[in-house]
Amino acid sequence: MRHVASQLAAHIDGRLAPASSQQIQEHLRTCERCQAEYVEVKQGMEWMDRLPLIEAPASLWTSIEAGLPHHQAPRRIPWAWLATAAAAMFAFAAYWLLAPAKAPTWEVTRTENSTQRISRIAPGQWIETSARSRATIKVGAIGSLDLKPNTRVEVIATQPGEHRVALAHGEIHASISAPPRLFFVDTPSGTAIDLGCEYDLKTAADGSGLLQVSKGWVQFEWNGLESLVPAGASCQIRAHAGPGIPYFDDAPESLKLALDQGALEKILSESRVRDTLSLWHLLSRVDADARGRVFDRIAALTPVPQGVSREQALQLDPDTLKRWREDLAWTW
Amino acid sequence: MNGREVSREVIEACRAGDRDAFRTLYEIHKDRVYSIAFYFFNGNSEAAADVTQQVFLKLMTSISQFRGDADFSTWLYRLVVNTCVDSARKHKPASDGPLETLAAPEDHEGAYARTQTANSVRAAVSTLPPKFRIAVLLRYFDDLSYEQMAEALHCSMGTVASRLSRGHKLLAERLKAMAGGKGKS
Repeated sequence: MRHVASQLAAHIDGRLAPASSQQIQEHLRTCERCQAEYVEVKQGMEWMDRLPLIEAPASLWTSIEAGLPHHQAPRRIPWAWLATAAAAMFAFAAYWLLAPAKAPTWEVTRTENSTQRISRIAPGQWIETSARSRATIKVGAIGSLDLKPNTRVEVIATQPGEHRVALAHGEIHASISAPPRLFFVDTPSGTAIDLGCEYDLKTAADGSGLLQVSKGWVQFEWNGLESLVPAGASCQIRAHAGPGIPYFDDAPESLKLALDQGALEKILSESRVRDTLSLWHLLSRVDADARGRVFDRIAALTPVPQGVSREQALQLDPDTLKRWREDLAWTW
Repeated sequence: MNGREVSREVIEACRAGDRDAFRTLYEIHKDRVYSIAFYFFNGNSEAAADVTQQVFLKLMTSISQFRGDADFSTWLYRLVVNTCVDSARKHKPASDGPLETLAAPEDHEGAYARTQTANSVRAAVSTLPPKFRIAVLLRYFDDLSYEQMAEALHCSMGTVASRLSRGHKLLAERLKAMAGGKGKS
């Protein structure tokens, strides 16, 4: 077994699956180098226990409250004004019932020949960059979207619960800091769903493209087919056929080629432990015979965790696959 | 519900602009957020206060984006991580700022020794590379799962485990070196 230094904190914290923890324990019995590391990691954790929690200064709330937007103060309506307010509400009721709700707009900065122009964009409007221009859209309060040259994007939804654009063609860079599933990019071959991340997405007019994730995770979906792509990994998007099998950017070129060609033998033989990312996705995309071989290859690369059986995995039991993915993600 | 869990009602009230509910949210989390920033910036209380203020203002102005099915702690700590990292780029090195040592009651030997130890640990934490430092502090100041830490730190769970292992090992090495240095002087 290879050295286990990188997993020692998780082992000490009891965050590993029992089978993995037992393997580490066995390795520690015989490996002096990892034993020494274990002692140091544990000492480091014990040192941290000496740090007290520091109470935030009482004056801090005053500064924070002063910075809050005024409209967020609870409204306390004086009784004397109640009748007037009620009358005003009746007067405006018809307007609000008849007029469509106005969706928020997003700020757009277009850059061409070092000149910047700022405007707003609303749902239903398009923005297109030329060969010599770029643009940056502020996605509400949750992040930004950079449009590279020759890119065409339509803003679809700007509501707090759904930020959605459609990428017709071109290349974008998205940087989002928000809870998962608030930002979506529709393409002709599926939808990229932000799970808290930063990524680049290219799409040709025919729908083929490439997703490259630099931080966090992105889920790409098309007609029930989905790929989960972590930081450092990419996924080819096939024209009107959805996401391919994700792979790590540092994977052997021979593996990437085999994934592109669907060459199962080569995929199995070229995969490293980290490439269980690709193998896990492959499980649900091959026939039953091939699935067994994929299962065996993953099991040979890394121990199958407790609660994951071959039979259930081959039947594509969702809970089993999820549990296995969560365990494999330690190596991704 | 324990003191750190935030009920759906409190979040809903915050989304509706209820300042009292936001105060409740602040009171639940303020000390942990402040402590992470305080130790991230080597006891620089001004930097810690600035980060805490930024985090809660960002939280309040964007809480309408927060949906109940996502994890609140993950979201909060992602803001803490991003704000600490952004502020670190803007601030001068922490050693140039107004450092606050932890106060020790001098008439009590045991308490004094504990405080001195805490100051040494704080100084050693501040020498860790930022990506290890923030991971170690996140683990220590809240009971987050590795999955939550991974989301907050924008990395995989494997990377979280690796950073925590490396960070704690480096911390032990540096404290050992500091103790050795004192012994020699």
